[in-house]
Amino acid sequence: MQGFALLMPMFESWYAAIQERAVMGTLGFWENLYKEVYINFLYQERYLNYLRGLWLTLEVTFFAALLGFALGLVLAMLRVQAVQSPDGRGRRASSAVMRFLSWLAGKYINIIRGTPMLLQILIINFGIMAAVKNKTLIGIVACGINSAAYVAEILRGGILSVDKGQIEAGRSLGLSRMQTMVMIVFPQALKSALPSLCNEFIALLKETSILAYIALSDLTKAADYIRSRTYSPFMPYIISGLMYLTVVTILTKAVGVLERRLRQSDAGNEAR
Amino acid sequence: MRETKRGNTGDVLIRVEGLRKQFGKLEVLKGIDETIKKNERVVLIGPSGSGKSTFLRCLNLLEVPTAGKILLDSEDITSQKCDVNRVRRKMGMVFQQFNLFPHYTILKNITLAPTMLSIMSAAEAKDSAMALLNRVGLADKANAYPGQLSGGQKQRVAIVRALAMKPEVMLFDEPTSALDPEMVGEVLSVMIELARDGMTMVVVTHEMGFAREVADRVLFMDDGLIVEQGTPSGILANPKNERTQDFLRKVL
Amino acid sequence: MKKFLTILLVVAMLIPFAALSETYNLATAGSDGELSITMGTNAEFPPFEFVEGEDVVGVDADIAHEIANDLGLTLLISNMAFDSIIPALTSGQIDMGIAAMTVKEERLLSVDFSEPYYNARQALIVKVGGSVVDAETLKDKTIGVQNGTTGDYAAEEYTADVQRFGKALDAVLELQNGKLDAVIVDEPVAKNIVAALGNPDLILLDAVAFEDEFYAIAVAKGHPELLEAINATIKRIQEDGTLDAILLKYFPTEE
Repeated sequence: MQGFALLMPMFESWYAAIQERAVMGTLGFWENLYKEVYINFLYQERYLNYLRGLWLTLEVTFFAALLGFALGLVLAMLRVQAVQSPDGRGRRASSAVMRFLSWLAGKYINIIRGTPMLLQILIINFGIMAAVKNKTLIGIVACGINSAAYVAEILRGGILSVDKGQIEAGRSLGLSRMQTMVMIVFPQALKSALPSLCNEFIALLKETSILAYIALSDLTKAADYIRSRTYSPFMPYIISGLMYLTVVTILTKAVGVLERRLRQSDAGNEAR
Repeated sequence: MRETKRGNTGDVLIRVEGLRKQFGKLEVLKGIDETIKKNERVVLIGPSGSGKSTFLRCLNLLEVPTAGKILLDSEDITSQKCDVNRVRRKMGMVFQQFNLFPHYTILKNITLAPTMLSIMSAAEAKDSAMALLNRVGLADKANAYPGQLSGGQKQRVAIVRALAMKPEVMLFDEPTSALDPEMVGEVLSVMIELARDGMTMVVVTHEMGFAREVADRVLFMDDGLIVEQGTPSGILANPKNERTQDFLRKVL
Repeated sequence: MKKFLTILLVVAMLIPFAALSETYNLATAGSDGELSITMGTNAEFPPFEFVEGEDVVGVDADIAHEIANDLGLTLLISNMAFDSIIPALTSGQIDMGIAAMTVKEERLLSVDFSEPYYNARQALIVKVGGSVVDAETLKDKTIGVQNGTTGDYAAEEYTADVQRFGKALDAVLELQNGKLDAVIVDEPVAKNIVAALGNPDLILLDAVAFEDEFYAIAVAKGHPELLEAINATIKRIQEDGTLDAILLKYFPTEE
């Protein structure tokens, strides 16, 4: 940032050189491009607006991902408990309460996946959490609730992909349904679901942009704000878009590395 | 080696009364009455689809009987009041597909249940697991993962895992069927040794040599019923029932 | 090679800049050969512009119709976000921005403005018994505005905690829910929304005075003939009483 501050006078002088003609609208392509970058990024330390927005976006994404995972895990457990191996206490694998909760979890997933996230956010902001002042918290809860439905389906798929023999082996050793789930099924399910989960969280990062609708100052809102001050058609969106792209690219790379590691350890396991 | 010493069979361990099992409309078990005594080695044979695996899986309630009773040590384990998890601790099970836990080491596979169920302390469980691994010649694999083992080694570990719970009876569900031929022997020899030590065993298998060598009794199942039973020499050499004769002609 | 392609892609994305302020579609032929003029507005600002049925109506829409009639053109209305109107003008997508837009120096850098047609001041909406009672107590409070409006600029003078909404109504609803301490919007809009919500707890606070605000029509730079035509229409409707009639139609309660 220090070096950046030293360069500012230079950027300012470049802009001063074209400012007059900018008002008359007679700038060439590259001059115009520079003007757009200058007024939308450098002028009045506007890059700080983007960085603050980016930070909020990351903050909301991180906590929403945590919430989404925790809630999604509970939902997934409720969804799959009906298909687990029988318990020996009769034909019913689960109690009436559990079956009701499982049904409820199914409805939750259906409603969340069947309605636009924007509507959910507006309903939560103006309705369910109308009395909550902390916008960041609302954003986290709204995105977390949304993400949980998708996480639940990913985890459910992971759990169902675990060989039934694993459950039988656990139960035959005298482990309870819960112990088998936690110690045997879940670690394997998580491993197979991990890449999809990471991708869900990357998608979540981008989707938080619609929180701009409830006046949360995230990265998209930062672009909106700058644009309302500079009247640029789209340069602020290009800048915030590049920031999203940078973060998503880094995360995607990380997931790629993770996936390769997992595949290597799988290969080791398959060797006969 | 043939007709080695049979264990002294004693009191009744498992009593099965009128056992039926239906999958939807398909009736797989059509009323089985059977008694298995302590220290007895019972081998179940029969064509595929005869219900022998289902029968075995009913014994530890992996399949819930549609009708009938199963008593273990005179306790009705099919009753609603029965704690199925406690019952299963007394019955070790070995599966055709091994079903080792791929995300744990061999040692952890073996010590997981005894420690989780607070049957042993971590140290006890480890000592007991290492002793058992030694017996089957796999002590050096304690820290390996299942994926690094051959099929025969996996099945030997699976047997050890079940034994680590100190069960009263061992159930084997076609333990050698998924193995390459050259690995069958190593698994059978572990089972034979187990039989010599007096373990009560119920074994579903196609290995007639094994039946001949260790079984006290051979049950022939067909179409959901026990059709014929007797000593290995009786059943395998002189089958009375036509279906038994037919089956043995095909496998021997 | 990959880097080169990336640069190429970015440059391609920026090509539209080159076209800026060259396009101007006044009197371009419509699909049926009719000549049209396009008005850009943000129909979230009753009574100046709002959606009724499928049409955008309001004071500004009526004025736009007068302009189109005087020019002998068909009026097309493009409904967009308020902060998109000036960009749409500079990129030639619309011909005139009529959206209760205040003449501001920053805006004059990008567009030209007509003669003002309405004098509106900003109004401060607060909740009865709330923490804001005057200009002093407004400092550092959470203030809701519509993004990019005059109220947005005004709010920044008082606090860093400005929440910017797409709709003025949303800001007032958040005030009603207790999430905001005050809302700053144009006075006519404030009156309209407060009256519509019918919540006696919401009041317009006179204790904070804002400067006079003049609404005018924005056009892209470099189109003096269009600006002249618009000014002529404004002059006409001011003199022949049409403007008063329009205002009376949309502000029936105003004394």
